Amino acid sequence: MSWGGQQHSYGGYNQASQYQPYGQPTAYGQPNYGQPQYGQPHYGQQPPSNQYNYGNPYQQQGPGPGTAPPGYGGAPNMGGSFASGGYGSFQSPAPPGVSPELWDWFQAVDQDKSGKITCQELQQALMNGNWSPFNAETCRLMIGMFDKDRSGTIDVHEFAALWRYIQDWKNCFDRFDTDRSGNIDANELGHAFRTFGYNLSQQFSQLVVQVFDRRGIGRINFDDFIQACVMLKTFTDKFRVKDSQQQGIISISYEEFLEMVLDNTLLGVQK
Amino acid sequence: MADPNFLAGIFQRIDKDRSGSISAHELQEALSNGTWTPFNPETVRMMIGMFDRDNSGTINFQEFQALWKYVTDWQNCFRSYDRDGSGSIDKNELKMALTRFGYRLSDRFYEVLVKKFDRQGKGVVAFDDFIQCCVVLQTLTSAFRMHDTDQDGWIRISYEQFLTLVFSLRS
Repeated sequence: MSWGGQQHSYGGYNQASQYQPYGQPTAYGQPNYGQPQYGQPHYGQQPPSNQYNYGNPYQQQGPGPGTAPPGYGGAPNMGGSFASGGYGSFQSPAPPGVSPELWDWFQAVDQDKSGKITCQELQQALMNGNWSPFNAETCRLMIGMFDKDRSGTIDVHEFAALWRYIQDWKNCFDRFDTDRSGNIDANELGHAFRTFGYNLSQQFSQLVVQVFDRRGIGRINFDDFIQACVMLKTFTDKFRVKDSQQQGIISISYEEFLEMVLDNTLLGVQK
Repeated sequence: MADPNFLAGIFQRIDKDRSGSISAHELQEALSNGTWTPFNPETVRMMIGMFDRDNSGTINFQEFQALWKYVTDWQNCFRSYDRDGSGSIDKNELKMALTRFGYRLSDRFYEVLVKKFDRQGKGVVAFDDFIQCCVVLQTLTSAFRMHDTDQDGWIRISYEQFLTLVFSLRS
């Protein structure tokens, strides 16, 4: 894709005219959904919605009205989908408040029928678009996000939220995977970051691809895309807390630094 | 360096499936932190990452010799601070250990550290988590130092520099 047609390529998002090209001296980008939640791990954020906001960087915006929850009915057949597991056999009825389709998916993922999904079960059920297995770290990350009762596992109600979360990310990922290869390169990633409102150089997108690229092909998969975006949001929030003047630059002491980066980095995570 | 024959025997015991290399799972089963709890999988992954020179995801015998020395060095270090032999150290003992290593951190920060690395929720840090804590601290400190050119304990860092630093952190 070419950068010359940037404005043009935003035609689909009706706020293109407000888009600020990067290189603004002081502003740095941020995802435009939700309030920054200071002092907590910032795992809960939603994937970017259909509507992007290039205006006031601190404007509160929930997921756009355009993001209807993905239909549970159709069996997804590509990336980020749950590997087909239901064979049409009769299973126990869905608990109250859980749609039959979702209940089917849950039971397919819950291989030992414990009523709980472990990280390992989730990893086995998830697939990238190119049939490579989901990375364990993203599964841990997602379990941690939706595991409300801190059991280390996901019950069917937590699963409903997780399922929606993955579908939203998938829709988002597909928009940037312009060549439908099931993975995205540094240019596509840079496009995604800018669309989310982050003000970062192309070198940064290249670094992120390099960090997550498991096969040395200069591209990252869907699971890594989620992980990268969640990390970016987490550390942007942490930075913003320190950047009270919104100058895009902060002075921090050694100990402040340690506290900011003690959690949520890739330390101890295998590529 | 320990006797290679002695180590070869240990290596074979750990390598349960006789594949000639040790997987993360085998390493985790072999390692003990002295409290009968499973070894921290994050520490295991980190150690494999450190010693897996050929990026195979597993540890061959040559890599194992270096890993063995590393673990025993940590064990000796840990034991000297675990006065009561409980298999874990408390905040003050952690402070003593890290102060000996040259870190100068506030009491408040030691509380943060214990809270983060206390997987058992007992207010203490076990052997495996102690290794994790030390390696993380060392990695973060050297990253900070790279930016702290005048060595005054403060850095001025832009948004993108900060993110670049964070995304580049790997043990």
